[in-house]
Amino acid sequence: MIAVTQTWTLLVDAYRELNARKLFWITLFLSGLLVIVFALLGITDQGVTFGPFTMPLPLSLGFFGGEENGERNFYALMFSNFGVNIWLTWIAAILALISTAGIVPDLIQGGAIDTVLSKPIGRVRLLLTKYFLGLLFVTLQVSVFTFGCFFVFGFRANVWEPQLLLAIPIVVTFFSYLYGVCALLGLLTRSTIASLLVTLLFWFVLFLVNSADVILLQFRTQSELTEQRLVERIERIESNTERGIIGRVRREQGDEAADAYEVSDQELLETNPFLVRSREDLESTRADLYDPWGLVFWSDSITTLKTVLPKTTETTALLERTLVDLNELDFGDLPEDDNALPSDEVEGVSISAREVNIATEEALRDRSTWWIVGTSLLFEAAVLGLGCLIFWRRDF
Amino acid sequence: MSDTPTEWAIDVQNVKKTYRGGTKALRGVDLRVAKGEVFGLLGPNGSGKSTLVKIMMTVIRRSAGKGSVLGEPIAHKPTLRKIGYLPEHHRFPGYLKGKQVLEYVGGLQGMDRTTKKKRAAELLDAVKMTDWAKTPVKRYSKGMRQRLGIAQALINDPDLVMLDEPTDGVDPVGRRDIRDLCKRMVDEGRTVFLNSHLLSELEMVCSRVAIMVQGEVRSQGTINELVQGQERYEIVIAADPARAAEFLLSALPPGAERPEGAGRGTLPSGEWVEISGTTLKIGSTQPETIAPVLDNLRRGGVLIHTVRPMRPSLEDLFMQAVTDPTTGEALMPGAAGKKKKRTKAPRAGGDA
Repeated sequence: MIAVTQTWTLLVDAYRELNARKLFWITLFLSGLLVIVFALLGITDQGVTFGPFTMPLPLSLGFFGGEENGERNFYALMFSNFGVNIWLTWIAAILALISTAGIVPDLIQGGAIDTVLSKPIGRVRLLLTKYFLGLLFVTLQVSVFTFGCFFVFGFRANVWEPQLLLAIPIVVTFFSYLYGVCALLGLLTRSTIASLLVTLLFWFVLFLVNSADVILLQFRTQSELTEQRLVERIERIESNTERGIIGRVRREQGDEAADAYEVSDQELLETNPFLVRSREDLESTRADLYDPWGLVFWSDSITTLKTVLPKTTETTALLERTLVDLNELDFGDLPEDDNALPSDEVEGVSISAREVNIATEEALRDRSTWWIVGTSLLFEAAVLGLGCLIFWRRDF
Repeated sequence: MSDTPTEWAIDVQNVKKTYRGGTKALRGVDLRVAKGEVFGLLGPNGSGKSTLVKIMMTVIRRSAGKGSVLGEPIAHKPTLRKIGYLPEHHRFPGYLKGKQVLEYVGGLQGMDRTTKKKRAAELLDAVKMTDWAKTPVKRYSKGMRQRLGIAQALINDPDLVMLDEPTDGVDPVGRRDIRDLCKRMVDEGRTVFLNSHLLSELEMVCSRVAIMVQGEVRSQGTINELVQGQERYEIVIAADPARAAEFLLSALPPGAERPEGAGRGTLPSGEWVEISGTTLKIGSTQPETIAPVLDNLRRGGVLIHTVRPMRPSLEDLFMQAVTDPTTGEALMPGAAGKKKKRTKAPRAGGDA
């Protein structure tokens, strides 16, 4: 019973603290504003509309899946890409960090901590309660925004999509990774500014690691596609060349000799110099991929590194994964952008950027939710565990 | 008062604290506070007073030693429900109003809503802060914060109240109110543990005191116990200071061991005597002891300026405790542990 009373007291205090912070209300107001903007946006056969106006964008209902799912996909992508990936996981998250970064340093401030620690409340419970109450901030923000979008989605596209509400746990989970680090830094430095800045720096490092991962995955995917094409081409060349040789034998020596004729590899290579080139290309591509310091090594290394780090971008991308089926999107409406990536060192093998992007996106979506969220939560648990240990042992 | 632990509100034995880096804040403290008394802990800055209080309030962990508070071992969390604590340099969240601070602290103590609201109103009245109950703490003056701090220390109706520098920043009227409050607390059956620099304040309210220097308790007991053996008579003569010692020495009764320089001598009846300028100090509270000396002075035609019985004040005792007997100079502040490297001790509390 006493634990309930204490938790309720800390909850009321957290509410009062948030209430006293103007930034909380500013962020909430901006979230509401964004919901209104979303409500004004629409999609027709002619393009994207904003209220009564049609915007000159190369996007139409067809791109988003046509009459049947177009509006749904449009709003889902808008919510996922702008609402979640830009607003909630960048701007609102930074504002939330600014608002909550002071919670732990304020708790351990000289004069304040004495009053709290001298009460019949365990240190670990105190710190964790403060931590989870900090998460309340982002939960409230995300809930207001998500429910707003849910209703916009329902009334504008006439699709009531409960999956949209997954944004609440997903974004809160994403924020919790950063907030865990921020709380630990607040405990170590006792400074709001220092903990905030170092958390933002840590987030930036995560962003760089993720960018490196995606770029390496793109190169790897491109090389793997090139390898696949080369293998197919070599098989085709070999088959064609073999047919050509056997045809020549048939013409020169008759059907019986042709049927019994076995084409050697040497003969294939001598007959078709292009096969030699293709095999060299395949060898080179495979070397790029599988050499000890090749793309696979770097791509796997960065993936291993990511395993022990929180995966902020991929966590928020889970929402898009849930809401938007790649197959429903008609990428045909996008301008073709072939040869955008430097794969075309291999003559005759054409892989478009679009193809690479789709394959990369598929590879990213193949990563399990457990790997993305589970390992990130393990990182968070380790950070919080360390924080609890420090807080438990420290003299104030 | 027996030695049964349950009769002690505080009983600590050989409590030591060494901070990371080697600073020895406490070097083996033994302290006992009886239930229902006002106990004063005094000592210079850095002597370890606040460290000791913080150890008892579980804010700091002790390195060694044992002890009990209200009959339970130190760091027994449920016992903290029976203790009220005013930390030195306390700070409450600026966004809270006076009444909300009391309710917040009451909530942390596990009090139910109705009780803490009722108690908060009573305490605000007791510390004369009712008119400021709905004002944010950030607008309070130092004295008002201190009054509120005392109120929050009492919110849980504690058996033991630990007040660390309660009169810090409080005006004389406020100090008197706090003194009265302490007396009322004792009347209500509470034990009050006061940690203060203001010796006169302690002298007025404390039944027992302890003097702490360099992480050790130098002396503890009632003020009477502490001054025992130090009460004296002082006889001041009206004479040329250059010849005063000669007159005073000649007035001592036959058989007395005469003091030399700043040292002490002894009367035939065993009391100590000391000469300082034109003053003769005799370690006795009995008038008959000084009567022969006065007779001798009068017989010698020496004009007596003053004769007064002297009882050392708490300040005298304190100064005596913090003075190095070999050099006669004040002991260095701090609780010892002379390390070159500045250690990571807790925040800048006066005594931590």
